[in-house]
Amino acid sequence: MVSARLLKDLQEMGVELQEVPYEKKGYCFDGQLEKDKLLQAVEGFDHYGYFIEDIICVDYVENLELIYHFNHWEDPKRFSLRLRVNPEDPEVPSISPIYPGGGWHEREIHEFFGVSFKGHPNLSFLFLHPEIEYYPLRKIPVRIPEEKKKILQGKMPDLEEEAFWINMGPQHPSTHGVLRLFLKMRGEFIEEIEPVLGYMHRMQEKMAEMKSYMQYYPNTARLDYVGPLAFSMCYCGAMERLCEIEVPERAEMIRLITLELNRIASHLLWLGTYLLDLGAATPYFFAFQDREAILDILEELTGSRLTYCYYRIGGLYEDLKDSFLKKVEEFIHRMRKNLKIYDDLVTGNAIFVARTKGIGLIDKEVARHFGLTGPNLRASGVAYDVRLSEPYAGYKFLRPKIALLDGGFCYERYLVRVKEIENSLDLLEEALKRLPDGPFRTEKKIKKPPVGDVYFATESPRGQVGIYIVSDGSEKPYRLKWRSPSFCNFISFTEIGKGMLIADAVATLGSLDLVVPEMDR
Amino acid sequence: MEVYGPRIKIGLLEEFLNLARANSLWPMTFGLACCAIEMMATTAARFDLARFGAEVFRPSPRQCDFMIVSGTITKKIAPVLKTLYDQMASPKWVLAYGNCAISGGPFVFEGQYNVIEGVDKIIPVDVYVPGCPPRPEALIEGLLKLQEKLTGVRRFPIPERRW
Amino acid sequence: MGELLRDFSFILVFAVLAILLALVVFLIPYLIAPRVYGSKTESLYECGIDPYGSAWIRYSVLFYLYALMFVAFDVDVLYLFPVGVSYLKEGTMREFWVLLVFLSFLVLPLLYAHRKGVFKWRFTVRE
Repeated sequence: MVSARLLKDLQEMGVELQEVPYEKKGYCFDGQLEKDKLLQAVEGFDHYGYFIEDIICVDYVENLELIYHFNHWEDPKRFSLRLRVNPEDPEVPSISPIYPGGGWHEREIHEFFGVSFKGHPNLSFLFLHPEIEYYPLRKIPVRIPEEKKKILQGKMPDLEEEAFWINMGPQHPSTHGVLRLFLKMRGEFIEEIEPVLGYMHRMQEKMAEMKSYMQYYPNTARLDYVGPLAFSMCYCGAMERLCEIEVPERAEMIRLITLELNRIASHLLWLGTYLLDLGAATPYFFAFQDREAILDILEELTGSRLTYCYYRIGGLYEDLKDSFLKKVEEFIHRMRKNLKIYDDLVTGNAIFVARTKGIGLIDKEVARHFGLTGPNLRASGVAYDVRLSEPYAGYKFLRPKIALLDGGFCYERYLVRVKEIENSLDLLEEALKRLPDGPFRTEKKIKKPPVGDVYFATESPRGQVGIYIVSDGSEKPYRLKWRSPSFCNFISFTEIGKGMLIADAVATLGSLDLVVPEMDR
Repeated sequence: MEVYGPRIKIGLLEEFLNLARANSLWPMTFGLACCAIEMMATTAARFDLARFGAEVFRPSPRQCDFMIVSGTITKKIAPVLKTLYDQMASPKWVLAYGNCAISGGPFVFEGQYNVIEGVDKIIPVDVYVPGCPPRPEALIEGLLKLQEKLTGVRRFPIPERRW
Repeated sequence: MGELLRDFSFILVFAVLAILLALVVFLIPYLIAPRVYGSKTESLYECGIDPYGSAWIRYSVLFYLYALMFVAFDVDVLYLFPVGVSYLKEGTMREFWVLLVFLSFLVLPLLYAHRKGVFKWRFTVRE
C-alpha cells in the first residue's frame, strides 16, 4: 500500500504521523511538522503520486496553524500535515516548486491571513480589493501594509512592441460568471494568463464565524448555485460526523435521489451553456427544457427551484409524497428518450468535433499537481470519484458506475458528462426500488457541537467538495473552510492555456465547468 | 453624470417612441451570481422572454438599453458596473433582480467588508424584483412593470379574482 | 450621347439618395434622443475594465492576409452582379459555361492562398 510506504519514509525523515479514526475526523493520518522538514516531506508525497487537495489556515490566537491535505487516487487515505507558525511574523517555505496548485492556495492564505511564503513566484492579491484595511480572517485585527495590497503585482506589465494585452473581463458571455483573465496575446495566440478573481467574493468563510451553524446553513446553497445539494450535503455530513449523529436509512436514500437529480440538472445546464459558447444555440433550449422538468420535481419536494435548504443536520426537512416517486419515474423515462436528441444533435456534429477534438489536453501529471477532480479528471483516464472512495449518504448502499475515458481533451470531457447523466439515471432507478421505510430525521438536536475539527468530502458535478470545520464548543463555528472544486480546476487552466488560440481557450474554459462564486467563496 | 433631454420634444412622437422602446428592450448580459441562472431560464423555452420583446441579449453595452443586474455587487465589481452603465446607449433602464441587487441580500452581516448593499447606491434603478432567487415569472412581471412605466399602460393586466 | 447621360443620371440620383439616407439616420437621433453622459461613456469597451496599452502595435501579418482574402472574395461577389444581370437577357447553355470559367478565375487567388497556408494560424506564412 502506498500509504504504508509513505509513512515509513516520513518516519525516516523524522516526521511522525498518527492514525486517527476516519469516521470521527474525516482524515486518516495526522501529525505535526516542523518548518524545515516541510519541503522534504512534500517531495515525498510527490514521489509517491499524491495530489494536493487543500491548504488550510486556522488562526488560534497564540499561533497560526497551516494544514496541508494530500490524497491519492488509488489509495484514498487523507493525509493531514500541520504546521504551527508564529503570528507576529509568519513565514513558511512555499511548496509551489513541487506542487504549483499549492502555490495558489498559498496565495489565498497570504491574502486572508498575512502569512508570507518564501520562494513563491507571485504573491499579489487575488481575491480582495485594494481598499481593504485588515486581514479578513484574523481574529485580532492586523493591518495590511500598503506595499502588500497589489493586484497583478502592483504594476501593469511592460508594453512590448508585438504583444497585445487584453481583458477577457468580468463581463463576458463565455466566462460563465465574473472571472477576469488578463491575457497577453501575440496574434491570436495567448502567451500569458493572469487571472484576477474576487469579483464575487461574498465572505462565506467570515460569515460562518459570525453566524450560528443553522443560520449559516442557507449560504451553502448559494456557493454553487447549479449543484447546491452537494454543498448542503457536505455541510450536513460534516456536522453529523462532528456531533456523531446517525442518519436514518430512508433519509440517506432520499438524499441520494435528490443529489443525483441535481447532478443531472447541473450537467444539462453545462451542456446548454457550453454549446452556446461554441456557437450552437439549439441545444440550450432542449437542455433547459429537460432541466425545468427536474426543477419542477425538486420544487414540489423542497420548495425552491434553485437554492435548496432541504437537508437538515440529522436528516431531511420533510418526507416524500408518493407523487414524487411517480414523477421521478416519469422523468427517468423521458430523459432516456431525450438523450438520443443530444446524441443526434451534438456528438457527431462536424463543427463541434472540430472545435473540441484535440483541444485542451489535461494530462495526469498536471491534474495531480493542481488537484483537478471531477469529470475533468475522469476524462483524463483516472478513476477517482469521492462517491466510491469515501462513501456518504446513500452511496454506502449503492455503488455508482464511473464514466471513464482516456484522452483528456474537451471532447472526452463532454462525453464523460453525457455518460454521467446516463449513469445517474441508472442509479436513480435502482434507488427508487430500494427506498426503505422509516423515519426521515433523527430526534437528536444539538445546539453546541463538541470541541474538535472535522473534514467531509462529497462529489459535486464539478469535482470534490470538501469542508473543514473547527468547533470550539460554542454556537458559532470557529473556522470553516471550503475546498472548492472549481478553484482547483481553474488553476490548471493557467498552466494549459499558454500557447492556445483564444477560441480554443474559450472551448477549454467552458469544458472545465466553472462556477465562479464557488471559486471566490 | 450629465442628463439632458431630447433636443426636440413632441408629445405624440414621445408616446410613439416610448411604445417602440418598451416593446423592444434589449437587455445586457450582466448575470453575476445565482439570479443569472434564473435569468437564463427566463430566456429559455418555458418562460419565454422573447414574446415581450426582450429577446436579444447582447454582451456589449453599446448595443443595449436595458441592464438586468442579477447578483451580488461586491466592491471589486462596482467600478466595472459603473463603467458598463456609462457605456450603454441612452435612454437606458436598470432592473435590480434579486435580493442581493436590491439591498445586499443574505450577505450582509456585521463586520462585512466586501458587499455593496444594493445596486442603487451606484446607479439609478427603475424596477426592483425581490426574491432569492425570484422566479422567472417575477422577472417577466418586472419587465411588464417597466413597460408600464414607459408607456403608461399595463399590458396583460392581472385579472380580477372573483373568489 | 444623350442616352449615356440619361443612364448616368440614374447613378447620380442613387448616390445622392444614399448620402441623404446616411445623413438622415444621423440627424434623427440627434434631434429626438435623450442624452446621458457618464465619466466613461466615450471610453473604449473592454469588458468593463480600462484598456491597457495602445491598439497601434505591430500585428501579426496573418490578420492583414485574412483581410486581403476577404476583399478578394468581396470583389468576386461584386463582379457577379453586373455579369449575371447582363447575361440574363439572352440565356443559353453557352453563356452558363462562359460564366463558370469566369468564376473559376475569380476563385483562383483563394485557392492559391489556401495552398500557401494563409488560413491556418501559424506565426509565419510558409514560403
